[in-house]
Amino acid sequence: MPDRVRTPWWRNVQVLRWLAQLVAMAVVGVALWLLWFNVTNNLASRGIRTDFGFLDQPFGVRIAGSDLSPGSAVRLALLNGIRNTFALAIVGLPLLTLLGVAVGVGRLSGNWLLSKICTAYVELLRNLPPLLLVIFAFQAVILRLPPARSPATPFGWFVISNLELHVPSLRAGENYRAFSISLLGAVVLAFALWWWRTRAQQSTGRPHHRWLWSIGIFLTAGAAAYLALGRPITISRPVLVGRVVEGGYRGLGSYFAVMGALVLYTASHVAEIVRGSILAVPKGQSEAATALALSAFQRFSFVVLPQAMRIALPPIINQYLNYVKNTSLAIAIGFAEVTLIAFQAIGNGQPAPQVILILMGCYLIFSLAISLAVNLYSRRMRLAVQ
Amino acid sequence: MSRARVRSFAVLGVMVLLASCTDDATVTTTSPGAVTTAAGGGATTTAADTAPSGDGLLAAIQSRGNLRCGVNEAVPGFGFLNPDGTRSGFDIDFCRAVAAAVFGDPEAVEYVPLTAQQRFTALQSGEIDVLIRNTTWTATRDGGEGATFLHTTFYDGQGMMVRTDSGFTKLEDLANTAICVLSGTTTELNLATRFADIPYTPLTFETNDLLRPAFVAGQCDGWTSDKSQLAGVRSAFPETEGGPQSLTILAETFSKEPLGPVVIDGDSQWAQVVDWVVNAVVIAEELGITSSNIGGFADTENAEIRRLLGLPIEGDSGPTIFDAGLGLEPGWASNVIKAVGNYGEIFDRNVGPDTPLGLQRGVNALWSDGGLLYAPPFR
Repeated sequence: MPDRVRTPWWRNVQVLRWLAQLVAMAVVGVALWLLWFNVTNNLASRGIRTDFGFLDQPFGVRIAGSDLSPGSAVRLALLNGIRNTFALAIVGLPLLTLLGVAVGVGRLSGNWLLSKICTAYVELLRNLPPLLLVIFAFQAVILRLPPARSPATPFGWFVISNLELHVPSLRAGENYRAFSISLLGAVVLAFALWWWRTRAQQSTGRPHHRWLWSIGIFLTAGAAAYLALGRPITISRPVLVGRVVEGGYRGLGSYFAVMGALVLYTASHVAEIVRGSILAVPKGQSEAATALALSAFQRFSFVVLPQAMRIALPPIINQYLNYVKNTSLAIAIGFAEVTLIAFQAIGNGQPAPQVILILMGCYLIFSLAISLAVNLYSRRMRLAVQ
Repeated sequence: MSRARVRSFAVLGVMVLLASCTDDATVTTTSPGAVTTAAGGGATTTAADTAPSGDGLLAAIQSRGNLRCGVNEAVPGFGFLNPDGTRSGFDIDFCRAVAAAVFGDPEAVEYVPLTAQQRFTALQSGEIDVLIRNTTWTATRDGGEGATFLHTTFYDGQGMMVRTDSGFTKLEDLANTAICVLSGTTTELNLATRFADIPYTPLTFETNDLLRPAFVAGQCDGWTSDKSQLAGVRSAFPETEGGPQSLTILAETFSKEPLGPVVIDGDSQWAQVVDWVVNAVVIAEELGITSSNIGGFADTENAEIRRLLGLPIEGDSGPTIFDAGLGLEPGWASNVIKAVGNYGEIFDRNVGPDTPLGLQRGVNALWSDGGLLYAPPFR
């Protein structure tokens, strides 16, 4: 076809597509530039600084649950807030996962009472705004505890007030270092046994009992080391001395209020995801498992649940992200997570646009990190052959 | 192919549309005199709100027809939202006074309730025209927040409130306790300074409504704030929790808290208007003009009263009416006094000895009575 007429460029769909992309990019770029220009210009005309030098200014106030002096830089205060947000996430995420899976499975249980309780839990919690739950947990639960001036000391092992909860903690005793090294040795030993039992099963076909072996050797070695080294770890009991509590771990009441409320709230969503995912596993799978004479427990935990979790993981990530973002509600009850610290900084004269920008960056990093971690895990879980 | 082309053109069309919109928005937000900016939390007003007939904030407010006043709604006596939906308080009266000066109508106010943390962002972004929300004048706020502080309306100081049955009598007694404070306030900073050598746990809350339950439940043993604010909170402390007498405000005052109206930097005409509204009520008290006797000055010989109230002054070329050139109608001050009264009336009505707060004038008396209130001459 030598005589074929070339399409002129203005009718060439490929050129037009490129052009459209370029124009779109230009428009977005110009819009962003105008916004930036507008903000910086208006701020400058009002004498408000537009740089990040404020991060080295003193924060000016103390933070509950931290030893930071008021003269510390704003950056340190923000880091402290990030740490508190992290503390909410690192404990809350596993808790809400366990609770969510338990309730989700419970809803499908044949036990009428259990399934109704789980249903009621899900329907109640999932239909309330999280802010309401946080304020409820704080004002109606935590604040009902004994006041800070006269804490309760149940069993002599705890010191509990509505300000702080103190629980016993582990404390390093003599030979602590030697003990931790021997514990490490016990772990290595346990893994070696695990590997040996797995190999043994593969070659002989006899049951491996690797859990029994590994945990048994770990406990035996650990106990032997503990006895041999003479109390390398002691328990520190919180003791009330005047108005100060010495020893033990302490947690602010507001920390437990935020975490409790959000764990209960998010777990109700996770439960629904888990339930849906279990129902989404084809019926043939559990029928096949029954045909192989697996017990009900084996059928559920080795056949149905692993496949259900594969389906559940992506939507559960969303709930993890929601949990982390919702921790910002702690501002309502005065727990010093990163949003509260950021707003405190703004209130005390630090520039709002920059602080908010940093705050957004923090949550972005948190969310991306969680997504990354769960995605790596789900890649491992993926079927080798679809 | 033709469908793809149509789609491309549609996309292009939408983009052109978007681009033009962006353009418009930019013109309005950066035009001189417009009070909008995209800064700080995205609180912006639209072009129509600020359509200027002159190029200052005063003209913009006049053409809009009401005053946007940033206020508190949780401090009895100063800025309080009553159960029936009305607002009352010392600061609210100053909002009304400014509206009376600008429009002759004290009701032409749109109240914008703000938390301590929101207030300067709201001012910077043009969401409010004036901030009258028990705000302390400090160097950082003057310098870094783009704010202009005007004539102080209330000289306050920080105090500490404790339960009477706690037995605390001085600040040092509060060692190793938790202390409740509002976040983003000067009181929070003063607390850290005053308690530099006293160990304590600060519990910071956004608003008094969230703070109160924590104090009532005994999570914190001290509640620190401006003494006037504490007096307001104490006066309204519910009887079910023990009533006002179950709380004690410790004697020590550990900061200076000059509270007054705040406007945005860079509009001195508007700043002067607000400043002179405050001056006018102080001058009115000096001259003995009250909201009830203001009608009786028509024949007064006192030239300053005639100037202040905008009464005709006889001269060789016939009567003239004094205009200070503030951009307000002559006689604006008489509208202010009719609406809210003089400074003493505002004080007595909201926080004075006959109110639940029961505050004495103290340093807030006129300079001639040994206080700090002093207004420049009205001439």
